[in-house]
Amino acid sequence: MLKKYPTVRYVLLRAIWYFLTFLVALSLNFFLPRLGSDPVDIMMAQSSFSSPEIRKQTEENLRKDFGLIILDKEGNILRDEGGNAIKASKFSQLVTYVGQVFKGDLGTSFKNQKPVSEIIMQALPWTIALQFPAILFGWIFGNSLGALAAYKRGVFDKALFPLALLMSSVPFFVFGMVLVYFFGIVWEIFPAVGAYSLELTPGFSLDFLFSVAYHYVLPFLSIFLILAGGQAIGMRSMGIYELGTDYIKYAKWLGLKETRVLAYLFRNAMLPQLTGLALSIGQMVGGALITEMIFSYPGLGMAMLTAIQTNDYPVIQGVTLLITTSVLLANFTVDILIALLDPRVKQSLAMDVK
Amino acid sequence: MNFSKRIVCSALALLVVFLISCEEEKAAEPKTSSYPRSETLYLSGSQWGDPNTFNLLVETWLVAWPTNDRFNLMYEPLTAYNSLTGATEPILGTLVSYDAEKVVVDIQPEAKWSDGKPVSSADVKFIYELGKRFPQAPTSYVGDFVSEIKVDTVDGKERLSFMVNKKRNNPLVILDQLQAIRIVPAHIFEKYLADNNNDFDAVKKIKCDNNPVVSGPYTLAQYNNERIVLVRRDDYWGNKVLHDGALPVPKYIIHPIYKNNDHFAINLQKGALDASMNYIPRINEKKKDGVNTWYDAPPYFVPGSMHFLYLNNTKAPLNDKNFRRAMAAAIDYAALNRLAVSNYMPEMKPGLIMSEGLEKKYYNAEEVSKHSVPLGDKEYAKKLLEESGYKAVLDDKGNLKHTLGPKGDILPTLLIKSPAGWSDWEAIVNLVVKQLRSVGIDVREGFVDGSQYWPTLPSGEFDIVMRKPPVAVTASLPWNRFNAVLSSRNWRPVGDGNSMNENEGRYNNPAASDYNKRVDELLDIIPLLTDEEEMKAAYTELNNIFLDDQPAIPVCHLPEEFFQFSSKAWTGWPTEKNPFAPPQLPWVGSGINTLWRLAPVK
Repeated sequence: MLKKYPTVRYVLLRAIWYFLTFLVALSLNFFLPRLGSDPVDIMMAQSSFSSPEIRKQTEENLRKDFGLIILDKEGNILRDEGGNAIKASKFSQLVTYVGQVFKGDLGTSFKNQKPVSEIIMQALPWTIALQFPAILFGWIFGNSLGALAAYKRGVFDKALFPLALLMSSVPFFVFGMVLVYFFGIVWEIFPAVGAYSLELTPGFSLDFLFSVAYHYVLPFLSIFLILAGGQAIGMRSMGIYELGTDYIKYAKWLGLKETRVLAYLFRNAMLPQLTGLALSIGQMVGGALITEMIFSYPGLGMAMLTAIQTNDYPVIQGVTLLITTSVLLANFTVDILIALLDPRVKQSLAMDVK
Repeated sequence: MNFSKRIVCSALALLVVFLISCEEEKAAEPKTSSYPRSETLYLSGSQWGDPNTFNLLVETWLVAWPTNDRFNLMYEPLTAYNSLTGATEPILGTLVSYDAEKVVVDIQPEAKWSDGKPVSSADVKFIYELGKRFPQAPTSYVGDFVSEIKVDTVDGKERLSFMVNKKRNNPLVILDQLQAIRIVPAHIFEKYLADNNNDFDAVKKIKCDNNPVVSGPYTLAQYNNERIVLVRRDDYWGNKVLHDGALPVPKYIIHPIYKNNDHFAINLQKGALDASMNYIPRINEKKKDGVNTWYDAPPYFVPGSMHFLYLNNTKAPLNDKNFRRAMAAAIDYAALNRLAVSNYMPEMKPGLIMSEGLEKKYYNAEEVSKHSVPLGDKEYAKKLLEESGYKAVLDDKGNLKHTLGPKGDILPTLLIKSPAGWSDWEAIVNLVVKQLRSVGIDVREGFVDGSQYWPTLPSGEFDIVMRKPPVAVTASLPWNRFNAVLSSRNWRPVGDGNSMNENEGRYNNPAASDYNKRVDELLDIIPLLTDEEEMKAAYTELNNIFLDDQPAIPVCHLPEEFFQFSSKAWTGWPTEKNPFAPPQLPWVGSGINTLWRLAPVK
């Protein structure tokens, strides 16, 4: 089937695999948080009650609200012989959950009763606004520097390489704290904390936008520079490797123009780097938890951490679903792109069919 | 290259994103574009996650500042407890008297809601009696203590008599409730209930964030996930009645929502935050940046709460009181103070009564020294262990391998459970482990995630656990503390699903042959006593039992809240030298009086 169209066949097969992976990930997202304590137990332990009866009543109400116990058609709690509410099995919860997901309903947070989609929509723009430009520009900047270093070598390379190595090996939270300490506290050039000045009301005013931009600098740099360092090193070694390959030597022998040779070089050296870029963009929606904590910056990472601490299942599931989906989508896109762009892969696809 | 295209695209994307973000803000008041620093007070430490609802009928752990906990900026309680003087100060009501039968409070006739309607007995009865109509109401616990509220009119004022429910027979808790329960406008909430066919859960979904009807000096202006803004109500009824016609000085109060403990210290030092209540280590080093505390010298703060090691009294060897007493003796409290909590602790005295402040009158030093083990005396601890048959087994390097029990059996390693990331507690636990091991007690640190820590408390599934009983400094101290550590009233076995919210260490099992019924008797009698001498005698007796049995170990005395403030933007904070208000942030109890005394720095 589809033997005449190896690429289409490949895409379809990949799509099926990714869908299966998605289902497995969905169940893992569902079961893993449920291995620990029950969210109701955590809430109950943090509050005090005057009598066991009131305690039990409150606990049952919470379990009912959260769909953790079984109800009959009129919405009454089903009880066992001892009068205790019957807990819903994890499997029946999973069925309900998957049903809701496919209807586009991510549920409601246990902790603050907000729809999960609203929590995500409030945090996601900040996460993307911080990470997307940092990743994209970090990637462009790092790769350009790396390629230049590989091509030019000499003093430029000798200065850049150790610096990039240093940047890529500093954990980014350490770098973030160093930035806060010097630029935020000692020299007071940039604000140390927050996404905008709290004196201002968020709105479409110049003051506010300026304040956002001003607060943006340090968190942006903390991601951008570290990422650029890593990319530069990768690109540099790829570049040096490609410069020594036969096709480059052959191209040089043929007397092709230098720019032409460089173009060949980049096309090949860029491929693995491109995969890296797609993956980082896929993972970015998980939020930069540490960056958000260091700078008290709004975003998804923090939303997820709070949810994990309180076992707020719907929020954990919602965020992990988002991460899963975007990582899988990014991977899928890369697979397809490589199949289309890389002649070697394309060739092997055609071979497979034969 | 399409480099420039990418820049343009990204810039556009950014712009869109900001536009989306900007729509989040929920405003109740007409929007102000900015809050001038000289009119705005920044307080923080109560709100951690995203603010959710401002509806007082919702469980308190779900409600956002300042409608959670006991804050009285928007909704007010009947009275405020002054944790410095012990006085019950008037807010919506004035405490007239209290005895074993009833607690009597007059409602302030001038008290008004922000919609102009008077605050009346109907409002008080609404929230106090809500549990009778809806058992899931957050105030339903009141019914166990107050059997009914009688209303009379005396000199044109409404007089409320909170009748003591004989079931619990505890007027002290009713006094606590006068401050803890904030009164809500009955006419508004009755309407919500009527509109929703008396469906309580539907009413709980109302957020009360749009022009709420309040009685307090401030009201909600706007909020989002980064901050909550309150604005002053210039027509607040209490300005005339309680504050000689003056207005609270700050026009706005902003609670920034930080995601990291360090941000309290950073922002206090930078003058971006005016006061906070979180633990900040080495506060004395921040004085040069204008960060101050109640005392200029150690312990810097006024002690108000005890932090404990709760011991599982049902598990060997912790079920042996000599073993527990040896533990209490082996801990070097002075070292804890110096190394773990930045010298924030006064000199450690044994027992459940504080030797200074309001509890001093119940403290009997002579009896305490008779019944207590000597604190920080390792030799005493070693001797006691040896006499009780315990033996430390060391390895070749001289480190503790394990402890042998009186029957020669190897005792299990005891874990001290404590939430990971609570830096002051982590430091305490690390030191305690070191000190206990040095006398031959096999204990180890057990740092766990919050989701593992909280549920094990009421179910009692721990060996040893770090615990701060949920007691604020209120009228019922120290009874409240004794109750939290010793009461067997709601006894449940370890692991029982209905679990206990006090005495989680399961001391004094009522079903056991050695049950000491005097403990629960005293806990029942003390709230009914009014004679100071009798009270002192009863407290001393109870404290002696605690010291003899040592069911738990107090490890440090720390403040109720770490009240630290910056004088960079606002001056006039209460301190030891100028104690016009208790050492609290100006948002709870009598601490709120500070708002009328602050002055902006010119």
